[in-house]
Amino acid sequence: MNAPDNHFERHARELYREASHHLDPAVVARLRTARREALANRKDTSLAHRTLQLLLPAGAFAAVAVVALFMSSPVQRPTTVAPNGVAPMVDVDGELPPDAAAADPTLYQNLDFYGWLAKNGDSEASR
Amino acid sequence: MESHDGRADDPDEGGMNTAVSALDADLLAADARATPASMNAFLAQVERRAFRMAELNLGHREDALDAVQDAMLRLVKHYSDKPAQEWTPLFWGILRRRIVDLQRRRKVRSIMVGWLGGRDDDGEDLPAWEPADTGPGPLERLNDAQSYADMAAAVKLLPQRQREAFMLRVLEGLDVAETAQAMGCSEGSVKTHLSRALQRLRDQLEEWR
Repeated sequence: MNAPDNHFERHARELYREASHHLDPAVVARLRTARREALANRKDTSLAHRTLQLLLPAGAFAAVAVVALFMSSPVQRPTTVAPNGVAPMVDVDGELPPDAAAADPTLYQNLDFYGWLAKNGDSEASR
Repeated sequence: MESHDGRADDPDEGGMNTAVSALDADLLAADARATPASMNAFLAQVERRAFRMAELNLGHREDALDAVQDAMLRLVKHYSDKPAQEWTPLFWGILRRRIVDLQRRRKVRSIMVGWLGGRDDDGEDLPAWEPADTGPGPLERLNDAQSYADMAAAVKLLPQRQREAFMLRVLEGLDVAETAQAMGCSEGSVKTHLSRALQRLRDQLEEWR
């Protein structure tokens, strides 16, 4: 390509750059405002993004914790109610003896008597 | 119909691109496109030229400002995390698509206006699409105002893709790969469009030679 063609393109680019430098001040101000708004929007977006990044793992952890809590808690046996509305007899053999510290001390002092009474009382009732 | 495929078989095309490359090396040495330090610096660097490019394509100051503002917002929102070296073709590509969108909307609206007999819903006459800027514009302050006006008029007459190739490659100084990325086409297609654009412009701006 010869020099005049180079001149043509150079001239076009120089005019374009010159025109870009000599913009109406009102246009320049609006461009500056647009730039600031775009950059401010990025800050808002990145803040929301960071908040989301923190909240997502926290929410996931909370969900996992709740599920683990439900799975590890003892299963409650449903209390079955007899058709006549009377609760069934509970197997007392499985119950623990009363706490010695909390129980009445006279109970232990007269333990032999209560044992005799239980033995003879059952036998009297069976007669 | 304009060809969009990547044929680059014009006999003088190689020479033209060599000339553009020489121009790039010459002009860009002085106006080095160093990697911008920040997104703010990059936008401050390109915003005025972006406005001029949008104005040349749209012929309307408010639309041009809207296009540039939207391009800034989209670049910042979607591509801030990209390396700074990629911002240039990304920005011009976003701006190009925004310009095309506005041109399409304008076309649809002009069709609708034609159907409605040139009146809007309130029965008022719609304003002309290219209102003249009656105030003292930037052109009046330019020594080469007439030359720039001539060039702008000639550029506006180019087909869309040729105009884009000329503006991005010659005026903005992107390399072929960046221009292809911004235009969404192959590098060969860029060369073809640019070759045809330069040929037309030389014919129309004969006095520049």
